[in-house]
Amino acid sequence: MLLNLEGVSKAFKGLKAVNSVSTRLEEGKILGLIGPNGAGKTTLFNLITGVYPPTEGKIFFDGKDITSVAPHARCWMGIARTFQLVRPLPELSVLDNAAIGRVYGRDPIRNRSKAEKASYETLEMVGLAARASEKAKSLTLVDRKRLELARALAAKPKLLLLDELLAGLNPSEVLTSMALIQSIRDMGITIIMVEHLVKAVFGIADQIVVLSAGELIAEGTPAEIACNESVIDAYLGRSLHA
Amino acid sequence: MKTTSRQLPSFKPSRRWLTPGAIAVLLAFAVVFPQQVAKDNVWNLFFLMCLGIAMGQSWNMLGGFAGQTSLGHAAFFGIGAIITRVLWFHGTPFFLALIVGGVAAATFAMIIGAPTFRLRGAYFAIGTLAVAEVLRITIAQNQPYISTMPGSMIAEYNLPSRYWLALGLAIATTGAAYMLLRSRWSLGILGVREDEEAAQATGVHVLRHKLLALGLSAVFMGLAGGVFAFKQISYYPEAPFFPTFTFEALMIAYIGGLGTVSGPVIGGIFFVVVRERLAANLTDVHQVIFGALFVVIVLLLPGGLLEIWDRSKRLALRVIRR
Ligand SMILES: Nc1ncnc2c1ncn2[C@@H]1O[C@H](COP(=O)(O)OP(=O)(O)OP(=O)(O)O)[C@@H](O)[C@H]1O
Ligand SMILES: [Mg+2]
Repeated sequence: MLLNLEGVSKAFKGLKAVNSVSTRLEEGKILGLIGPNGAGKTTLFNLITGVYPPTEGKIFFDGKDITSVAPHARCWMGIARTFQLVRPLPELSVLDNAAIGRVYGRDPIRNRSKAEKASYETLEMVGLAARASEKAKSLTLVDRKRLELARALAAKPKLLLLDELLAGLNPSEVLTSMALIQSIRDMGITIIMVEHLVKAVFGIADQIVVLSAGELIAEGTPAEIACNESVIDAYLGRSLHA
Repeated sequence: MKTTSRQLPSFKPSRRWLTPGAIAVLLAFAVVFPQQVAKDNVWNLFFLMCLGIAMGQSWNMLGGFAGQTSLGHAAFFGIGAIITRVLWFHGTPFFLALIVGGVAAATFAMIIGAPTFRLRGAYFAIGTLAVAEVLRITIAQNQPYISTMPGSMIAEYNLPSRYWLALGLAIATTGAAYMLLRSRWSLGILGVREDEEAAQATGVHVLRHKLLALGLSAVFMGLAGGVFAFKQISYYPEAPFFPTFTFEALMIAYIGGLGTVSGPVIGGIFFVVVRERLAANLTDVHQVIFGALFVVIVLLLPGGLLEIWDRSKRLALRVIRR
């Protein structure tokens, strides 16, 4: 198991944003994390990346208890993420944004120009190589999302967390991104993707976890989840069957 | 076909030698001019410009690169000054005393930085201001008598030697800022400035990078203090701890262009020239005028004086392309 959550909870002033969630994720899989707004998906990402400690429960990564490991050290171990509200480093060049991941992430390249060369390849992979020398703040939203992905990929993660990477993209961009996500998985990187585009997730995920009001209400293959009554009631509605 | 040939501006190759060219001209001027004029007021003015450049570069390494606002740089300057002077007066070779002063300033900075950086927000700015003021008052109480160079040192005193040292420091500090910006460390330092949480999620050890920027910044501010102690024949030991030194360093960095290498150079020259002019002609109100000028520059030109240069370059490019 690459990731193992054991009864993880996070409360904000009494509000249980994540309530006793347990799940396991095998290496090389794509996990789709779905649920209504405010279900606790981003909070769960913050717990896995160590933005804050859980109020209860334990997190194991690669067999090690990382519950109290600092966020940068989790990145060194191989956990990288994108942010739902994109956070590129605006005054830095596109190339430097990616190079940060290569210099500081897992299996880092400490030589800056070598790291830049390697990051350029990552930019090519997400389709941003042509903008390498521009400042990140000059990018469009879609390109910023690509840059977030490049920065995370450049950190050579074992586990990649994608928080609504597809939101705001047009249908053809969604298709390109989905192919990209699959090719990332084929490189051996395990992925958790939070997504409201249920059809897209169900198309590529190996496993689905459904959160609702902080609780894990269902878990299974896309096919199993698609006909799960409580999930349909809580989240899917008729959309998938229409 | 016509459009493509027009769209290729031949500007790039000429820009390559512009920066080294500007550096060479500036350096030649800094070396030749004061020797040609050979007047005390010119040596003094050039000394102050170099000290200003070094202070501005120092503040900028922390405030401009790492985005951490220090309101206590005078403490580093003062520590460098007092340690250098005491060791030197007691027989330590000057350069050794100077380096010990710089290292002491950096050590002190680490002691303030380690706890205050852990807290978010304005704690670092407020903490540095408070610590620097406490230090100044303590020095004022414990060292109330004026510090004067021994007669033997005054006998050998000459202004040019002071200026060459300050020039060396300005060059070294600017070179250090340039190398820092080109190093891999700057990715983490700038990353912390841009977005702490995003940088951390990408593997940047935030505290370590803040401390690195602070340590380098404090070394150079301490060295600047040591150079001040080498220059001044007599002063109250409290003087180099005055907050004025913090604000001068800060203003030079802002006026020239925060977060750039050439900004503090431009800012240091501009600031010292204007200040000396104002101080000579308008003794009473020069600080008020300076404050107002500072506000105008920061509001109208967030990129500092360097922005004027960048804007005119872009304008020139556009005109050439037409
Ligand atoms: N830092 C915080 N402080 C207080 N409450 C928070 C904080 N972060 C999240 N919450 C609350 O926790 C709950 C879960 O939020 P979270 O952002 O994890 O939801 P989400 O599933 O990602 O939703 P969305 O689909 O809208 O992104 C929400 O009620 C939210 O208001
Ligand atoms: Mg969310």
